[in-house]
Amino acid sequence: MAFALGKNDVNKINRVLRELLDQSESTGCLVCDHSGYVLAQQGVDTQDPLLISALGAGVFTASRELARILGEDKFSAVFHQGEKKSIFICAVNQDVLLVVIFTNEASVGLVRLYAGPAADAIRGTLEEVRTRIDTMQEAPEYTFVLNDSKGGLFSKNTDATKGQ
Amino acid sequence: MSFVNYATREIQLKIVYYGCGLCGKTTNLQVIHEMVSPDAKGDLTSLATSQDRTLFFDFMPLVAEAIKGFQTRFQMYTVPGQVMYNMTRRLVLRGVDGIVFVADSQWDKMAENVESFNNLLENLQLQGDSLDTIPYVIQHNKRDLTNIAPVNYLEFLLNNRGKRRPSTTSIAPQGKGVFETLNMICRLVLNNFIRENTPKSVNKEEKDLVLM
Repeated sequence: MAFALGKNDVNKINRVLRELLDQSESTGCLVCDHSGYVLAQQGVDTQDPLLISALGAGVFTASRELARILGEDKFSAVFHQGEKKSIFICAVNQDVLLVVIFTNEASVGLVRLYAGPAADAIRGTLEEVRTRIDTMQEAPEYTFVLNDSKGGLFSKNTDATKGQ
Repeated sequence: MSFVNYATREIQLKIVYYGCGLCGKTTNLQVIHEMVSPDAKGDLTSLATSQDRTLFFDFMPLVAEAIKGFQTRFQMYTVPGQVMYNMTRRLVLRGVDGIVFVADSQWDKMAENVESFNNLLENLQLQGDSLDTIPYVIQHNKRDLTNIAPVNYLEFLLNNRGKRRPSTTSIAPQGKGVFETLNMICRLVLNNFIRENTPKSVNKEEKDLVLM
């Protein structure tokens, strides 16, 4: 069964993300899960959100393993500082992460300060989704139908130009 | 576990190429990246050592209009094949929707193939998944080499879990069999997604348990 977010859920999360961007003066943020799926994002359009999500999830899970080796229960957040841009990743819940990208004109303290409440708000929304019994059935698009694709879904570019 | 975003009308599915070291997982993705039309693909990102061995994973998004009214994004990953990187393999396997097991056809790689397949079973079990429920395809790669085992033998060795699963033969660097494998796993994953998300097949209690 797929994990599904309805329009209202995504709107709620986007609202939280927009507030976080304004308050923390960061440039972009996204919510992703540990599988690398992007649940929502704001301001990350210019980069590849899928890639940031895949790498962010990897970095965070690796940090958890480091924490375990050091005898810590877990690292609740990870911060990578660059010359111009930095990235802050914190856990929303066991499976979901909040990734914040900010320039060095913003302060990591400010990002950390506002990321906590934002993560709490997102956790609340995801909790609502989780406990909602008929998540999918509320959506009118519940039935999924395959597109008719003659042959394979993907073809070699050279073949495509030959009309195959 | 797949993800549906009704706001952006997008479905995200995760496919992982698994197999022993140097069996051709990364080559598969490289060939797909080279050959698939530009509008269907994103960048191929490889986190590799200086010797071009996969250290963390390779990642490439593919986009298709596979399901009516939705944009389907396939997230393609490879795992590092070397035995010592098992934690990384577990990490990449999280939330997987479909698996391509790439087998090295060379005789002297048989033990490694079997070890890698067993490692896949173990890692899936640790995260509460199983090859009984996750669609997978076995790709017998490197069919152009001379010291290779017959396909029948590879099938006997790796495709022996009761119900036989689809398999392909390939010469990945030449692109032979690569797209057949890709299309096969995509089709299986999509069918599985539709089956799992069709109301009549959903047991409510089960649905609650696996919602997240």
